[in-house]
Amino acid sequence: MSPRFGYLVRRLLLTIPVLLAMSVFVFLMIRLVPGDPVRTMLGFRATDENVATIRAALGLDRPLADQYLAWLGALLHGDLGQDFVSKAPLTTLLSQRLPVTLELTILAMAVALIVGLPLGVLAATRGRWTGRLTSGFVVAAISVPDFWLGIMLVLLFAGTFHLLPPSGYKPLVGDPVANLRYMILPVLTLASGEAAYILRTTRGAMDSTLGSPFILFLRAKGLSEREITFRHALRNAAVPIVTVVGIQFGVLLGGAIVVESLFALPGVGRLIVTAVNQRNYPVVQAGVLVVAALFILVNLLTDLVYGVLDPRLAEGGET
Amino acid sequence: MTAPSLAAARPRASLVRRLVRRVGGWEALVGIVIVAVLVTLAVLAPLVAPHDPEAIDSARILGRPDLGHPFGSDALGRDVLTRVLFAYRVSLSVALGSVALAFAVGAPIGLVAGFRGGWVDGLLMRPIDLLLALPALLLAVALIAIVGPGALVALVAIAVIYLPIIARLVRSAVLVVKAQPYVDGARAHGASEPSIMLRHVLPNSLGPALVQATVLTGFAIQIEAALSFLGLGAQPPTASLGIMLNEGRDVLTLAPWVEIFPGLALAITVLGFNLVGDGLRRRLDPRGMAR
Repeated sequence: MSPRFGYLVRRLLLTIPVLLAMSVFVFLMIRLVPGDPVRTMLGFRATDENVATIRAALGLDRPLADQYLAWLGALLHGDLGQDFVSKAPLTTLLSQRLPVTLELTILAMAVALIVGLPLGVLAATRGRWTGRLTSGFVVAAISVPDFWLGIMLVLLFAGTFHLLPPSGYKPLVGDPVANLRYMILPVLTLASGEAAYILRTTRGAMDSTLGSPFILFLRAKGLSEREITFRHALRNAAVPIVTVVGIQFGVLLGGAIVVESLFALPGVGRLIVTAVNQRNYPVVQAGVLVVAALFILVNLLTDLVYGVLDPRLAEGGET
Repeated sequence: MTAPSLAAARPRASLVRRLVRRVGGWEALVGIVIVAVLVTLAVLAPLVAPHDPEAIDSARILGRPDLGHPFGSDALGRDVLTRVLFAYRVSLSVALGSVALAFAVGAPIGLVAGFRGGWVDGLLMRPIDLLLALPALLLAVALIAIVGPGALVALVAIAVIYLPIIARLVRSAVLVVKAQPYVDGARAHGASEPSIMLRHVLPNSLGPALVQATVLTGFAIQIEAALSFLGLGAQPPTASLGIMLNEGRDVLTLAPWVEIFPGLALAITVLGFNLVGDGLRRRLDPRGMAR
């Protein structure tokens, strides 16, 4: 077995206990609600009969281990349960909502990379003023809360200049142009902070790579600065940048909760917030589970990319 | 005539410069001033606020900013500046409370895990690592889903997000410190293990976590605002920055000041804590990447 393949298998196997632990947490969520979760969901006017019916429908009247195994079994067959208000199957609901969240987060990460990477390289290679300006951008973008930035963008582009819709959503399939018009403001809102983190990490990584002896050697060999920066330094600076992209994807998934609510995007984040406010626990459970699983998957991908970028990491893991 | 005044000015200049160097740069000094002013304003809010935060004034509904009401009035005619000052009290209490709670629980876990190592380390850190497997805001929302919304719940939820960060930082510092010769020295001197852990390792392992705590306080203010913006944090009529920002959206084009000023206040607060944190990080790690 080649070391790279071994690394891949080991990393995949490590994901299983994490997913299991996550499922236990999500399963216990509804059981940890103080008092009677069913009564909380139904309100205080619910009859005892109603409460008993719903409790049986949710399987809450059975022993805990039985409940968990049944729930996990259904989950493994792709059955997330049932919306307690609309009675709709949650797997269908989530499969409609997830693409919106994915589009939002992937576009935001793309914009953040397009802005953050080149500016980070510039900040590491150009003079003092570029460094100062980018530092200013970083600290400002990190400090401004994303939802407030979003509201200010709405005030400017929708309220004042009437260039873009303030909120709402059009599906990507069918009308991609309208979809993009609705996505621009949410994506910019979510991307600003991320761009700052990527910029800061890129600059830090480039700074330390450009200071290492092999760069001095390449300069002595007579390579152009451009070639040194892009072909050699950036490649060696990639591991910390990929780390931050992986970690920040989780931040984006969290940020999507706020941004989707702000722009009325029908994604998983908004679904969760609405469900929390309605005390619709099955929906909260399913939403949290899906987003958490997505995040675990992204972490897995990040680690796999490491193995490609820096084979030493994959081989080092073997010992 | 000019010579003496110059001579008098010079030591003062160097005093300022020394102060700047001490706190980790000009930006850090600006941050300290921002945080100090804001904390003072929050503590003294009932004394310095120009109006009553709950006082409804039908004559001043969505009133423009003027001398008596520098930030204008909201949809109920309440003074926005006054409400921002009172909201700071909620924001800062939740932020400081959550960081303190995360520290009180996370630091001992990190200390024992790092110092003992082995199975103790695994037993303590694996559950903590699981908390990192959820996106932070999602974790907070999930906890609030269980307990129900409120400022105190938000405080605990933010503490749970921060707990693994603090525990990990303390643990990795402990791993470095416990290998230092002076720890061996203390052991050779006959000091008991708990005494080594508490008297020698702990005080030298808190630095990085304390620096991070400054930055985390700023972000806690942001998270608290986001949660109450979503209706999951403090509940009306409490003046909270998140609630104000949510209410301001309804009158955004009519009275943008209801939205702009609380948001600016929030951004400046986070900026202040970030500047202080960056300065402290530079002091701890002068060659570091904290720019």
